[in-house]
Amino acid sequence: MDKKQKTKEKRSISYAKWGYIFIIPFFIVYAIFTLYPQILTVYNSFFEYYRDGLNIIGPNFVGFGNYAKLFTPNLSGFIPIVKYTVNTFILWVMGAVPQFIIAMLLALFFTSTRLNIKGQQFFKTVIYMPNLIMASAFSMLFFAMFSKVGPVNQIILASGWADQAIDFLAMKVTVRSLIALMNFLMWFGNTTILLMAGIQGIDESLFESARLDGSSSTQVFFNITMPLLMPIFIYVFITSMIGGIQMFDVPQVLTNGIGTPNNTSMTLIMYLNTFLGISKNYGMAGAVSVLLFIMTAILSTFVFKTISKK
Amino acid sequence: MKKDINTVAAIKLLISRLVVYGILIFLTFLCLFFFYLMFINASRSNAQLQAGFTMIPGGNTIKNFVNAWHDTNISIPVGMKNSFIVASLSAVLTSYFSALTAYGTYVYDFKYKKAVHLFILAIMMIPSQVSAVGFIQLAFKYHLTNKLWMLIIPSIAAPSVYFYMRQYLEATLPLEMVEAARIDGSNEFRIFNEIVLPIMKPAIAVQMIFSFVGSWNNYFMPSLLLNDLQKKTVPVMIATLRSADFTKFDMGKVYMLMVMAILPVMIIYVILSKSIIKGVTSGSVKG
Amino acid sequence: MAEVLLKNIKKIYTDNESRKKGRGKFRQQPKEGEEEKKVSLQITDEGVVAVQEFNLDIKDKEFIVLVGPSGCGKSTTLRMIAGLEEITSGELYIDGNLVNNVEPKDRDIAMVFQSYALYPHMTVYDNMAYSLKIKHVDKAEIDRKVREAAEILDITQYLDRKPKALSGGQRQRVAIGRAIVRNPKVLLMDEPLSNLDAKLRNQMRSEIIKLRKKINTTFVYVTHDQIEAMTLGDRIVVMKDGYIQQIGTPQEVFDHPANLFVSGFIGTPQMNYFDAELVIREGSYYVETKGISVKLAEDKQLRLKENDVKAQPVTLGVRPEHLTIAEEGINGQVEVSELMGSSLHLHMTVDGKDVICIVPTEGRKVNYDGKQLKLAFTGDVAHVFSREDQHNLEY
Repeated sequence: MDKKQKTKEKRSISYAKWGYIFIIPFFIVYAIFTLYPQILTVYNSFFEYYRDGLNIIGPNFVGFGNYAKLFTPNLSGFIPIVKYTVNTFILWVMGAVPQFIIAMLLALFFTSTRLNIKGQQFFKTVIYMPNLIMASAFSMLFFAMFSKVGPVNQIILASGWADQAIDFLAMKVTVRSLIALMNFLMWFGNTTILLMAGIQGIDESLFESARLDGSSSTQVFFNITMPLLMPIFIYVFITSMIGGIQMFDVPQVLTNGIGTPNNTSMTLIMYLNTFLGISKNYGMAGAVSVLLFIMTAILSTFVFKTISKK
Repeated sequence: MKKDINTVAAIKLLISRLVVYGILIFLTFLCLFFFYLMFINASRSNAQLQAGFTMIPGGNTIKNFVNAWHDTNISIPVGMKNSFIVASLSAVLTSYFSALTAYGTYVYDFKYKKAVHLFILAIMMIPSQVSAVGFIQLAFKYHLTNKLWMLIIPSIAAPSVYFYMRQYLEATLPLEMVEAARIDGSNEFRIFNEIVLPIMKPAIAVQMIFSFVGSWNNYFMPSLLLNDLQKKTVPVMIATLRSADFTKFDMGKVYMLMVMAILPVMIIYVILSKSIIKGVTSGSVKG
Repeated sequence: MAEVLLKNIKKIYTDNESRKKGRGKFRQQPKEGEEEKKVSLQITDEGVVAVQEFNLDIKDKEFIVLVGPSGCGKSTTLRMIAGLEEITSGELYIDGNLVNNVEPKDRDIAMVFQSYALYPHMTVYDNMAYSLKIKHVDKAEIDRKVREAAEILDITQYLDRKPKALSGGQRQRVAIGRAIVRNPKVLLMDEPLSNLDAKLRNQMRSEIIKLRKKINTTFVYVTHDQIEAMTLGDRIVVMKDGYIQQIGTPQEVFDHPANLFVSGFIGTPQMNYFDAELVIREGSYYVETKGISVKLAEDKQLRLKENDVKAQPVTLGVRPEHLTIAEEGINGQVEVSELMGSSLHLHMTVDGKDVICIVPTEGRKVNYDGKQLKLAFTGDVAHVFSREDQHNLEY
């Protein structure tokens, strides 16, 4: 009682403690559910630790052994981590190139006062929609559509473009193209809206004065729009790349987790996922995660630079 | 001569407009075509689907729905219930606590305030998959698999939502408002709940929608954590369709299951598309 | 209704306590008449000193105005009285009770903010009722008090509106209404009129004078505008760089500025300054400048004598309205003359220095432009300031 009285007298009107009180739930949850698991992940990466049937092997300290294993050619004669990084990158590029070209064009169309596009809200609504669709269901839908007995093959057969059903899911080019198409559809609307906001953020009078100075639309684009849009463009581009590294749902469901054909559509996260299945190979999974972390960290520093420039 | 230039310009504009609208219509078609097919096929019986492709809906919608609803291998009603619990609670927790955290670092002066803010920004870009290994390991170690709250509670610490809320606060909340409330006699929690939260309503709404959708669609973590059929969420169930032997399935039912997985979000989107699209632009760090 | 006593109050901002953080964002432009750059403040090992050696005894129901340029510590002082800022050292008493560590809500004070800080999601009624609701005041009682305050401020017809739907002047009234609704012991006002346009500001100023007569409470009012200070305050406190420069009634401060800064800050156009000599002849003080010699008035003679002031070089200050055109006096050339209606402002140069002189218009018969004039002043309006430390030698 006495003590309580004392503290009450001593209390001050500093509000600093409330700052701590308000941020504490975030940090407790972060520490338990994210930070500690992250540390464990890194820790695991230095151990041989997996399940073999009913036996649990390890944990035995192996230093950089897991990392060395990642960079050692496997039985099929390729270095897994390199191949899957390249796969992931190819899949991302195949989707991102059309995604950014189309998005840039649409952003220019929508912001052009000369074209004065009607029904913008409608178009924006439609092109953004795939972004919110459950990726696994979207991928499942594509699988059903493009399977040997699916509607796409039915159309092809009915129209006589081919004599027999095309197995879209057995060929490298078609599988990769389907994944890229899905990623394109899911993300070009989002990119359009972000780039549009960027263009709208540019002082309108710059465009007007350039046009009065006699610049053509191409000149305006390369001399004014693009340079001023650059920070936002880079930001959107790199965040897209970071998202690309994390590509998982679409190829996982489309290829049933095996990256058909011949691992040519296996992405980094799918690879990570294989270690977390029945084998519970925490050691290898940890090593893949650490590499993943390093890649995103490098890209993130670019993002930070562009943000801080703003 | 003058007139000629004018006509030429008008024709040029007309042509470019036609081209632009052509592109837009094509993209619209591309975006809607697959979903249209899905809805059509969900209305047709397996036999109709085998018989060949058509753009006309069949009359089997209700039957497919009933079949899908009662399928014991998938139990979609359970999945939808689980997904709804996870998504809605995540949405509430993530937006409330992110707002609280953002308010904490924005309004109060404390020693490590800047460091805290920078720390959260720094962890924003770390992919969730990096913590997955340790998370799964702990979940198995402490027998916490198949617990839905394991998917809900972590949403309290969402760096990107924090970032959005913080930006919103900086743009909309004058500190004098907080001081006015203090002088009016309100305590700090009450100020946050009665004064600040209502001011942040638009931001909270946007983040709740995004969080709900993200959580509803989330596949990676639930697929690792949930293997009990009674605990699975919709994306995990949909993915199991893929690994099953496809040829044995009633395809009408499969399409209907996909419709059921996608439709809730589509409905939300149709109703709230305007504010969702606005939300994408205002301080978005998604993507 | 309460006395407020500030004893040797000091405020130091430590590093992690950023000064007026964030508030600037909502002030789109620097306030009128204020320099954008913060006046240099004392920086010590402990941090930035915002206010020091602040002693003031505010009497019950007094209207005190804290006035000074940007960064002088006036707002900080007000916020310390409110309990929004910690007091680094010193003692603050409200109604005889030491309140240094008492939270704002327990101090029984109310405050009107520069940005009004109305809650945007509440109606005017709810804005005004909020503080009473928190105190669990009976509903009928709340209603009575809100309507009474609304009546006083003439905002009854807006009670159901949200702040968004009000004009600047109306919002101002609501902000005041929110403050007076609970009969606070002390009513604090932080530059309440600076967001209004000139016309509304004048109007609201007289409203505040009227309001003061209607409600019995102690007012502490912060402003950078010396006209507001002069017209509103029973006493005004002129501050600069964290120090009090002078405390006094508006008349005292105007007639006997304590130092060069106060003399320049109070009164528009600014006081004119001349290099001069203070000399003693036959036991009387004279100021001599530019070939003229003026004997100081009796009361000034007494004060100077009391302080045993020696003959010395001084800065002589004379207000523009106290300079007259005469046969004999200081030579000056008119550069520009501005017609202000009832009077004429002559912008002149005297030995390369700018001097302003106000003369009656007299139907503007005389064209002064470019003319050479002689300026004179009397011994009761001449202020003599020490060259060394700029203080008024009378003090």
